[in-house]
Amino acid sequence: MKKRAVSILLTTAMTISLFTGCGGTEKTADASRAEGEAAAQNGGAKETQPEGENQTAPGDPVKITFWNSFTGADGDMLTDLVNRYNTENTDGITVEMDISPDFDSQLSTAFAAGTGPTMILSPSAYRFTYGDYLQNISDVFEKTSLDKADFIQSYLDYCSEGDNLYFVPFQVVGYYMYWNKDLFTAAGLDPEAPPSTWDEWADYAQKLTDESKNVYGSGISYDYAYQIAHIMQRFGGLAVTDENGSWKANFEDNDGYAEFLNMYQTLVQNGDNPLEADTDSMASAGQIGMTVGGPWVTAGLDTAGVNYGIGLIPLGDAGDMNSVEVLGFSVTTAASDVEKEAAYKFIQWWNTENAEGSSPALEWSLANGFPAYTYSVQEKDAYKASAKLSAMSAANPDAPTDFIVDSSFPGINAVIGDVIPEMINSVAFGSSSVEDALTKAQAAADKITADY
Amino acid sequence: MKAIIKYWNKPSRCAYLFLAPSVILLMLFSVLPLAAAFGLSLFEVPITMNTVSFVGLENFTEAFHDERFLNSLKVTALFTLMEVPLQVFGALVVASFLTKNNFRNKLLRAVYFLPVICSATAVGIMWKMILHSNIGFITAVLQTIGLGRINFLNTPGLTIFVVSFISLWRSFGISAIIYVTAIQQVSASLYEAAEMDGAGKVRQFFHITAPSIRPTFWYILMTRFAGALQIFDIIYITTNGGPNYTTESTVTYIYSRAFSSASSMGYASAMSVILFVIIMAVTVLMYRKMNKED
Repeated sequence: MKKRAVSILLTTAMTISLFTGCGGTEKTADASRAEGEAAAQNGGAKETQPEGENQTAPGDPVKITFWNSFTGADGDMLTDLVNRYNTENTDGITVEMDISPDFDSQLSTAFAAGTGPTMILSPSAYRFTYGDYLQNISDVFEKTSLDKADFIQSYLDYCSEGDNLYFVPFQVVGYYMYWNKDLFTAAGLDPEAPPSTWDEWADYAQKLTDESKNVYGSGISYDYAYQIAHIMQRFGGLAVTDENGSWKANFEDNDGYAEFLNMYQTLVQNGDNPLEADTDSMASAGQIGMTVGGPWVTAGLDTAGVNYGIGLIPLGDAGDMNSVEVLGFSVTTAASDVEKEAAYKFIQWWNTENAEGSSPALEWSLANGFPAYTYSVQEKDAYKASAKLSAMSAANPDAPTDFIVDSSFPGINAVIGDVIPEMINSVAFGSSSVEDALTKAQAAADKITADY
Repeated sequence: MKAIIKYWNKPSRCAYLFLAPSVILLMLFSVLPLAAAFGLSLFEVPITMNTVSFVGLENFTEAFHDERFLNSLKVTALFTLMEVPLQVFGALVVASFLTKNNFRNKLLRAVYFLPVICSATAVGIMWKMILHSNIGFITAVLQTIGLGRINFLNTPGLTIFVVSFISLWRSFGISAIIYVTAIQQVSASLYEAAEMDGAGKVRQFFHITAPSIRPTFWYILMTRFAGALQIFDIIYITTNGGPNYTTESTVTYIYSRAFSSASSMGYASAMSVILFVIIMAVTVLMYRKMNKED
């Protein structure tokens, strides 16, 4: 009898702890929310003030949560910098960072459940997906010592919708051309003179290819949608543009896109470009003459000791452009005013020089090879001394920064994730002619534009 | 309190309390999500689920007109037809050689089981590197012996076989170990009697081992079938559905519709429901066949 009673008690405890475990949430600054009091003041009516409103007094310790997906080596650096902020700041702010490889799912689930972090770090295109959950942070320049004029305006535009600013830039991701200088020399080409046009690219690719050594001149991957998008944009401009207030897809009858697809097909058929998804590994192995990629490509090349050069992607018929993706800090609607201010202070710290003339933003650029988004960092001697960063910052700052679609088009993810991969795959593997691939891409893009 | 204890004190009632934790977990993480998926499939819902509009069966109609979804069903079927028989029968053959508990067999069992405990990500990246068309070890060896440069992971028509092999390599060990355990449970007296009657090893296998482990065989067949129809991790890591969508399984496609590009939870749920029905139908058919045999 006694044993049974104990068993029942234990089972009940297990069940209760299960519920507690499932329902438990971490106590951060949310703990200070004045849910109950506001309800009491309203005579028990449900509180209508924005979620996250709290009563933390100025000067009280504040904990803010910060989610992102920087799982690589750069994530270690980000962790170190956040730890440094937690130690150094005198405002009583603690930043609790959560780096997740499944950041997107984590975020969408949290928002769907009516919760979320104080601050996130994500591509500015997230404003299209999570726009309802991001706060307008235009007042960040009024409430902090950050100087708006120091930020490159085109990057701020990328983070805005009309007058509303949703992200403060953190990292500018452009794509660049990389060439293997040793392979250039071996092929009798000038290692300091990379191609400046796509005709030269095709010509050099042929000269660089050496089948006996498994070396390919050109390294364009059918599986890198972003790489393809950056290149095809040079040939045929933006895939979606604003035509008098409505979105227009520009795949069909786009001579530039057709020219790019024909060039790619020819390079593959001639054996000057591998039919391979993973060309970055080949570049690191010294078996690719020229490729196009983000700043992270340099990590593999440096580790492997490849003697390489960096330059801007050759321009095509679409003219001068500085297509980039901007990643930034954003404050979510789950944050209270106090938490929002704490997040502002962290962002300010990130972009503020210390006594030695350095800042986390500068350190980040130098360590990870991402070009700066403020003039003050670009002017630093350490920044200028970096050949990599100088090459990346050589793009015309006045050139349009839109990447593959008009920067206000909310369907960018669908264009990059679905339309472009289907188009390039069908051409690469010969299941469609270039014309058919463009016609299909147009139909798919028309469906997307119709949704917005 | 006494009354409550008295009420729950009966073994038939007390059993429910012991079952409760498992049932609650099952409800929370299996039944409710399943019901939610059924519900969501009738709505147009973005990833944040902040706007919901009822579309009825439109998502299902769209799925049956979606070339990529139909292609993914074909790819999944092909993968299943390759992976499951090889796994079910191959593991049985291997297991029959590993039943004795000597050092060699224990070592081999550990070796076969090793990939099972490795993460799919690590396994996928490893195979991706050694089968790389240009810098892969196996590719280089084959090229050296004059077989040319085989593009294992970028050739439509070939890559699905390669992916099936990788998946088989990874999960083969668990089936083999289950078979070994089942074979070891077969009474030794049966084999002794067979040997006295002059039956050879092959005959013993077909007339004693195989019939004795039939429930295990059905268990492996059903779980592998369901697993193969839900293949995701290995494909996601090695090819991500490429080249040209020739390895894009149904779950890979569902994932891409739910969590990336143009996210649509409703549409992804509708495709999940269709896959659920297929798996359910196959499993029920197998279950009936198994019961009939018994």
